[in-house]
Amino acid sequence: MSRSPFASVLASLTRQRGVRASLVVDENDGIVIDSNLQIGQDGDRVAALAASLYRKARLSAAAAHLGNATFMQLEAERGRICAAGHNDLVLVVVADPAANIGMIRVEMIKAAGGLP
Amino acid sequence: MADDVRRWSDELARDPASLVFLPLGETLRRQGRLDLALKIAMRGLERHSHNSDAHDLLARIAVDRGELQRAFDEWDMVLRLTPDHIGALKGMAFVRFQQGNTTEAAQYLERAAERNGGGDAEVAAALANMRGAGRGTRDEGRVARGAPDNDGHPAPRTPRPAPNDVRALFAEILGEHEQTALLLDDQGLVLAGTYVDGEGNDVGDEVGAELSGVTDEARRATRHLGIGEWKAIVLETEVAVITMAPSTGDGLLVVAASKATPIGLVRRVLDRCLERARRWLEAGR
Repeated sequence: MSRSPFASVLASLTRQRGVRASLVVDENDGIVIDSNLQIGQDGDRVAALAASLYRKARLSAAAAHLGNATFMQLEAERGRICAAGHNDLVLVVVADPAANIGMIRVEMIKAAGGLP
Repeated sequence: MADDVRRWSDELARDPASLVFLPLGETLRRQGRLDLALKIAMRGLERHSHNSDAHDLLARIAVDRGELQRAFDEWDMVLRLTPDHIGALKGMAFVRFQQGNTTEAAQYLERAAERNGGGDAEVAAALANMRGAGRGTRDEGRVARGAPDNDGHPAPRTPRPAPNDVRALFAEILGEHEQTALLLDDQGLVLAGTYVDGEGNDVGDEVGAELSGVTDEARRATRHLGIGEWKAIVLETEVAVITMAPSTGDGLLVVAASKATPIGLVRRVLDRCLERARRWLEAGR
């Protein structure tokens, strides 16, 4: 179990039903700062891809003067990737389709607000 | 929806001081049951005379009943209670616009834009529309009269491109609501639609440039995780909901709406725009 300042946040998110992984990622370079992964997940690659997607979406919103991004969700056939950022950090969650996305969303937005 | 109305009605019967008269009244208004909505709102106001949302509800019902001055007076009360109430400013702009007073309408819209930091695309688009109409350069000088928009607050309507303009590809689907849709190719170049920013400008090219490569990255991420093909991305910002989905030929469809628009509704619009884009692309444009 991680002992970083993000450990409790990640553990709290991973306890949500259907959450397979939670990570704190540097948005600029996609490097994992801390993670709570189930066995079999490649955290580094997930982090890099999710951070890049979040960054692109956030910048597109900025280009359209639509304000700061608060939450992003990518829906796929058999799962979801969620991201919420603050400053240069992005909180990423990988979840199953059956996950309670409403609850995860609320928890992530709240947790992202507490990121340094 | 019928269940909600029943549940709220029951709750109000049990507790006449409950604030459920607000969603109940709004739902009835949207259903066109204006007399009943008015009755509910008036009873609610008797117990919550300093609740700005209650006055706002009454104003919207009044607009739907064609009682413009009454609506204006109620929104004026909303502003006394909540000076930064964007919806009231938009509503007052609408009333003045309908009354032919475009100068005052623009002033209310400008106040709304100031309060919201220029981030409300609906307000900005309406303002741009009004300024354009003032110059006689847009929409052939004709300003469309607006209907209540998605958050229930009316505002003068944004001019639409001509029907044969590719920018208008999704206009029929977007309808009266101040949503915007943009179809990008695999390089992030605009194929059709528009993307209007907070100041009423089409920033499709800029948005496309930022989103270039999203389709490919989303595909790589989902394949790497073994969660199948990606279906949609939903991005929430402080003022908007932006949805994206893969389109034919590695393209990307983007639909944005104000934050007040339910995400589920934006997703439905996205699906319909996707189908429209598919048919258009298959027909060779």
